[in-house]
Amino acid sequence: MTAQTIGIVANPASGKDVRRLVARASVFDNREKCAIIRRALSGAINAGADQFAYLDDSHNIAGGALEELEELGEEFDAITVPCVQTSSVLDTIHGARALQEHDPIVTLILGGDGTSRAFVKGWRDCVLLPLSTGTNNVFPRMSEATVAGAALGAVATGAVTLEEATIAVKMIDVEIEGEEPDIALIDAVVTRDQFIGSRALLDGDAIERIFLTRAEPTAVGMTSVGGLIHPLPEEEDAGLHMTLGSRGKHRVHAPIAPGMYETLRLKKIEVLGFDDVIEFEGPCVLAFDGEREREIQAGQMVRMRVGRSGPSVLDIHKTMHLAACRKVFN
Amino acid sequence: MLAAKKKPAAKKTPAKKKAAPKAKKAAAKAKKAPAKKAPARKAKGPSEKTLKELHLKMVRIRRFEESAGKMMEDGKIPGALHLYVGQEAVAAGVMQHLSNQDWITSTHRGHGHLVAKGGEFKPMFAELFGRATGYCKGKGGSMHISSMDLGMLGANGIVGGGPPIAMGAAFSNKFRRNKNVAVAFFGDGASNEGSVHEAANMAALYKLPCIFVCENNGYGEYTAQSRHQAIVDVADRAAGYGMPGVICDGMDVMAVYEAAGEAIERARKGGGPTLLECKTYRYYDHVGVRGMGLNYRTDEEIEAWKKKDAIEGFEKRLKQLGVMTEKQIKTVHAAVEKDVDEAIEFANESPYPEADTLLDNVYNEKGA
Amino acid sequence: MSEAQKPAVRELPYVMAINEGIREVLREQEDAFIAGEDVAIAGSVYGYCAGLLDEFGEDRVVDTPISEKGIMGLGVGASATGCRPIIDLMFMDFIGECMDEIANQMAKMRFMFGGKATLPVTVLTMGGAGGSLAAQHSQSLEAWLAHLPGMKVCMPSDAYDAKGMIISACRDDNPVFVVLNKASLAMTMEVPEGPYEVPLGEACVRRQGSNLTIVAFGRMVHEAMAAADQLKDLGIDAEVIDARSVQPFDTETVVKSIKKTHRALVIHEAVKFGGIGGEITAQIQEEAFDYLDAPVMRVAAPFSPVPFSPALEQVYIPNADSIIAKVKETLEL
Repeated sequence: MTAQTIGIVANPASGKDVRRLVARASVFDNREKCAIIRRALSGAINAGADQFAYLDDSHNIAGGALEELEELGEEFDAITVPCVQTSSVLDTIHGARALQEHDPIVTLILGGDGTSRAFVKGWRDCVLLPLSTGTNNVFPRMSEATVAGAALGAVATGAVTLEEATIAVKMIDVEIEGEEPDIALIDAVVTRDQFIGSRALLDGDAIERIFLTRAEPTAVGMTSVGGLIHPLPEEEDAGLHMTLGSRGKHRVHAPIAPGMYETLRLKKIEVLGFDDVIEFEGPCVLAFDGEREREIQAGQMVRMRVGRSGPSVLDIHKTMHLAACRKVFN
Repeated sequence: MLAAKKKPAAKKTPAKKKAAPKAKKAAAKAKKAPAKKAPARKAKGPSEKTLKELHLKMVRIRRFEESAGKMMEDGKIPGALHLYVGQEAVAAGVMQHLSNQDWITSTHRGHGHLVAKGGEFKPMFAELFGRATGYCKGKGGSMHISSMDLGMLGANGIVGGGPPIAMGAAFSNKFRRNKNVAVAFFGDGASNEGSVHEAANMAALYKLPCIFVCENNGYGEYTAQSRHQAIVDVADRAAGYGMPGVICDGMDVMAVYEAAGEAIERARKGGGPTLLECKTYRYYDHVGVRGMGLNYRTDEEIEAWKKKDAIEGFEKRLKQLGVMTEKQIKTVHAAVEKDVDEAIEFANESPYPEADTLLDNVYNEKGA
Repeated sequence: MSEAQKPAVRELPYVMAINEGIREVLREQEDAFIAGEDVAIAGSVYGYCAGLLDEFGEDRVVDTPISEKGIMGLGVGASATGCRPIIDLMFMDFIGECMDEIANQMAKMRFMFGGKATLPVTVLTMGGAGGSLAAQHSQSLEAWLAHLPGMKVCMPSDAYDAKGMIISACRDDNPVFVVLNKASLAMTMEVPEGPYEVPLGEACVRRQGSNLTIVAFGRMVHEAMAAADQLKDLGIDAEVIDARSVQPFDTETVVKSIKKTHRALVIHEAVKFGGIGGEITAQIQEEAFDYLDAPVMRVAAPFSPVPFSPALEQVYIPNADSIIAKVKETLEL
């Protein structure tokens, strides 16, 4: 029996930006990423998967892992999906579109929040399993890759169905006047920066507004700012909108990056319904999921809305429990 | 410590709990009033003066190099010439944080570094022309152009030659307890030289104010990076040296400016060295403009990188921000062009070094 | 100076004279430091840095990793930017590890920069055979260094010169290699206290003579002196010149001697082919051809790597006997 195709995406750029210098973020070298993919593939193959389609990243992370497995005599089919290589976020966006054509039932994404966001930007209603290697990891889960791979395999073989094992997540839809729209999975931030620059959000002072799909006190980054003052779980059909200002009456001391605390003053904290739209105008820079992404000009309108319009995410826990009950590995 | 329990003052329409998966945005109405007319928010980040200086540095490098390339093709410049065109954002973004008391070591592709460090066109062109009025009195040329007064410890004809010297200069800074830093520029090719590893290890060991700036332009001479090392990110090696490794977009001057700023500030405060990798590209060949016509990269690749041109992108943004108008930008280019023309004229008219100066400066005679 | 002001003179081994030389420099030059493998905590594998760490502290007596490119680069960068580094290169053989920093950076930087850089850096290194340290820890490679415009190279043959030349080298505003000799470390002689200089580029006539001139480098000076003593018994009166510096070389002293003796023999421990003796021989024939009564001869190591076995090493290194044999040949005896 042939299992369905599993997509594989590894972001070579994750885990290397300036936050390793300014904050205390970890370096993630690409050999380690390759090893993670290799472990995930072992899990998947041992759960019965045999079809893979991987995005040909510029660093040959996924390709390298598959080559290693092939040398070990594992049997599977792997399709290389070529993709533009600009060493920018565009690679993952275009890659998602290219991968979509191979119709993977679920795609393993190795990277940080930004990687998943870029992928979803290219393929809105994908099903994915994000594994963490990046910096502000709210979206991807920390999980041993072997087990994550096994969950992928269980879904690929049909032992566990997508309906049983996935959750549709929230997302922030961003409309930008006269330009391509954008999205954020966890947070969208409006800053007084003038440039995208080194991307990382490092200056709490520059932040004007924070939009959150979830406010988690157990995470770092912008989600913690909300999470430490008004927690909002992923399951709740609402978003959070906070406006900042030096005279704000609420104070939050939050880790805005790994190992880096700042005290932010909030003027207003409001819960957003899925129908609520917040509108404002530039000049500003918009940051999504921890990275400055868009430069907005003076007078240019921006609209933000939180909704459950995000991708479906594979729940490793649930999948493996079901797989165990169904004796997939017995 | 924090009043985390305080209820937010959200009194808007209660969020409808009905599951509305994948609701399309078309239905949504702008419910909230837009933020009242923004009370002139003060932008964060570098001053207009800084932005203009960054721009000027890049334009000066570009114009200098384009003209130098032309002079070489016209046979005015003897020897080899390695042009920096394409990589301007790196030199400009890093050097913006340095004073004349901070040291840099450069590479064979060194004109851009000297221009960004404050090098003047007249002695630079004169040096490339081999004249007595050059920065090195015609003894160094393109590959050894330097200015001790500007803190520029020389271009270097040896790949990997600079980092050990920069490490030594950083040692000197620390030894004399000043707050100056030393920056070693090197390429992806040089990252495979033992000298770079030794310098990086020692800089980390002694916690020296030394910044290792790897300008990864994807090629070591005519060999693609994938054919000269098993890694793609030179920054990955930082962990092995025991220093932070950071990657930034070397085609974006603000990305370099921010990342270098953090690394340099850290070094000045005694935090030790950083490996900063800037992903960049050289538009021209390893040597010269058209080079030797070797078939090692495609025109499509070159064009794709040119779409990310650092100067064009920055100028566009400066206009958007209202920092500079198109007219002002044109004026800058014209002024730089004039500087170039005057410098070339100066170099052309300058005398060659006298034969009897040949043996000068082999040794420091007065010190013996 | 008056008798009262004269510094005390005592017997000191070569190794302690090196120590005193470094110590004097670190005392008088606040921008000076010494850096090298095992120099601080261990006090150098030869012992000549003993006590320096205690007296001058960690900032000025610096242990380095085993990274010769890094160490030599440290010397280049630090000297060009205002320090006066003393770089300790444990074995001369290790110049292979850092020849770029020596040849392409250190020696040339001043010239390449049109005279605008000054590199007051001194490198101490240990050359010579005799301890069965075999082919990679016994060489005499001074000719490699002397071939580099911009570099000064000296080879102190005894304790007095070792101290004085280290001080001269460190006061010089050029890169200077002080090539020490490991077989001479225990050799004792009178050495004055306090600082003094032995000028670079000046040879020294160690023994006056009339029949021939022996020009010797480093430890070979002692072999030449021993040979001269024995030759005296044969009725041959040899003049012995300690070259002391290889670059610059004191041709004048040698030529002056040859005008008196009309015969010359050049002795060094390095292999003969391409050794500095060839250069000296050429200079003699250029400057004093008409005064020569015989071809200029050389005694040097055979063209082979330094062997390990004491039996072979003994054959390899020039000594008084091989010098005497060559003197006889020169004099056609």
